[in-house]
Amino acid sequence: MKRHNVMRATAVAALLSLGLTACGSGGGGSEEASSTVRVTLANHVWTDIIKEAIPEFEEETGLTVQLTQLGEDQLSDQYNVKLNAGTDEIDVMMYRPLQEGKLFAQNGYLADLSERVEGNAEWDWSDFQSGPVEATTFEDKVVGVPLITEREVLYYRKDLLEKAGLEVPKTLEELEAAAKQIKEENPDTAGFVARTGRSAAVTQFSSYLYSFGGDFIDDSGKSAIGTPEAKEAYDYYGRMIREYGPENVSTDMSWPEAMAIFTQGGAAFYTEADSLYKNATDPADSKVAETVGFAPMPEGPAGSKPYNVPSWGLAINEASANQDNAWKFIEWATSKEKTLEVQKAGVPGPRSSVWEDPEGISTYPKDLAEAIAVSAENGVGYDRPLVVSVAEAREIVGDPIVAAITGKDAAKAAEAANTSFEAFLEDEK
Amino acid sequence: MNALTDTQRNATTATGGSGNGTGAAKPAARRRKPIRTRAYKWFRVVALVAIVLTFLAPLVWMLLASLKTNVDIYDASKAVIFSPTWENYDNVLGRNNYFTFIFNSFWVAFVSTALSLIIGIPAAYSMSRFAMRRSALVVLMARIIPGVSLLVPWYYVFSNLRMVGGYEVLILSHMFVALPLIVYIMMSYFDSMPLELEEAAQVDGLTPIGAFTRITLPLSVAGIATAGILSFIFSWNNFMFALVLSGANTKTLPVAIFNFVSYASIDWGGLMAAATVVTIPIMIIALFTQKYIVSGLTAGATKG
Repeated sequence: MKRHNVMRATAVAALLSLGLTACGSGGGGSEEASSTVRVTLANHVWTDIIKEAIPEFEEETGLTVQLTQLGEDQLSDQYNVKLNAGTDEIDVMMYRPLQEGKLFAQNGYLADLSERVEGNAEWDWSDFQSGPVEATTFEDKVVGVPLITEREVLYYRKDLLEKAGLEVPKTLEELEAAAKQIKEENPDTAGFVARTGRSAAVTQFSSYLYSFGGDFIDDSGKSAIGTPEAKEAYDYYGRMIREYGPENVSTDMSWPEAMAIFTQGGAAFYTEADSLYKNATDPADSKVAETVGFAPMPEGPAGSKPYNVPSWGLAINEASANQDNAWKFIEWATSKEKTLEVQKAGVPGPRSSVWEDPEGISTYPKDLAEAIAVSAENGVGYDRPLVVSVAEAREIVGDPIVAAITGKDAAKAAEAANTSFEAFLEDEK
Repeated sequence: MNALTDTQRNATTATGGSGNGTGAAKPAARRRKPIRTRAYKWFRVVALVAIVLTFLAPLVWMLLASLKTNVDIYDASKAVIFSPTWENYDNVLGRNNYFTFIFNSFWVAFVSTALSLIIGIPAAYSMSRFAMRRSALVVLMARIIPGVSLLVPWYYVFSNLRMVGGYEVLILSHMFVALPLIVYIMMSYFDSMPLELEEAAQVDGLTPIGAFTRITLPLSVAGIATAGILSFIFSWNNFMFALVLSGANTKTLPVAIFNFVSYASIDWGGLMAAATVVTIPIMIIALFTQKYIVSGLTAGATKG
């Protein structure tokens, strides 16, 4: 008897509370309205500007925009869960073409935009730079529209160069000599700094790799990081940081750490993505805002070959039932006017016409605009291995970077990485 | 209870401070005596300070950084001495409207904890009293399964139910973790509670349920508080479920904190201010409720 009573009470309590939650949820769901475009964007200056302009778009089209905004890794996690579950709750998605593009496209998450991009002459698809467009195309189908581009440039300290009586280095050899001289003359200042993290450094190392004549993967789809060119590039990058870099340099620096060293006045040269320039030129973030200069990526044996990539693009979720309106949003957000507006606020865009427009570069430091123009011309369209599991690949090809920085034999590390990368590529086929 | 512990502590320090002479003069005391040499005392102080500093350093750094500008945060020479600014807090609480997120976090944590307690306590009681060990194991299974593996199916189910983005789904998901936790803590608590108490209550004329609600439950406040606080803290800190299941208006604090990390710029000051805002409430709650966790009420109950 006692048993039953207690059990009944328990059961009633459980049912009651479950019932309560169920009732609560009943009212929460909303009917899908096709006039609402659900847009998922990453935290970015671009997003801040677009967010403010969204009422404009809503007025023009009569649509409502529902915006979700997340940090880049959180966004990635969310896509992986939601798209994998076949969600139709995302219409427009901001994504990283080089990091996730291949994976998403292969899984069929991204809608084919080939017809849509050609459909509007005024919007003008041909205006987009070819490097970025290549990165948002998968198996000859356009799956995304490039949004923000970046290239590697050389950040340097004008005052330190002047003091040392040096010219801005044009080749990697000159860069090394200059870094050495400055480090010797100023014991507290490093000659050179760059990212050192195994995975984080890969993108910035890529320009060195290309400039030495190497690549991650050769034309036949095989690993190319064991070639003599690649070994030399690894060795150079590692040596620069090991010998002319900051004291006790950590080997897990990404851009925030490396940038901090530079902006606190701790280094003379720094190679980094141009899209981060505001961190160095804004006095609220930088102590060297007055003295920072920009130059194109110095030339290696194979010339100056920085990457020129779209760091972000916009795509439409294949499972979305609202693709027409989603495209309207993309068209508006990537129009010439919007691109110009955003670019003037410091976010390098993918449209040639905007770069050619004097207004488009009016807010940029003059030397930076010049450096960008050079890089856009001879740039390579990717800054990491173009594979499905990019994160894993970056770990593998980044390994020799860390080895070289810590003073181990770069060539040997490259050999080892080459073997694992070869196996990795074989697996992915 | 608290006052008593304080007096005890004072008494200990008083005897400790009164010197070694008197201590050695009483050979009758057979109890294992704490070592009270000067060296030991110093060692104790140093060890305590070292441990406290180690644990507090990140918090202090966070607090200091939240009062600095972004340039100063990286400047080692301004680590301790700098001109503080409220700009970051203004940014977090004013412009970024963190009060909404604080409310979201609080609401989800509160409701999920309350519901879990309502379901979990009777469940734990019956499992403890009626030796339902296999059911208990099943409940524990839910705690063992890593949350990540549940996220995709959950998202699938809840998005088909059109529930994603509401409070309900967050509450349910947090209950999934909180419930086993509460059931397990309460089970062992009820196990340790003498059956005689309830038998005595029934002899005095209470029904079994009456004995549970009037005798056992009031004596279990310490256990309930422990379970409730742990469940609340879990929910408050949970990031993974909230990331996928919350919507723009129901974001909780741990997710909202990432608003300060952008692709090409990180607002460290804002981030640290937001982190402080996340940390302070839970620390206050923990400070005020820890006496419930520490004190066991049953200890007194059976002595009499």
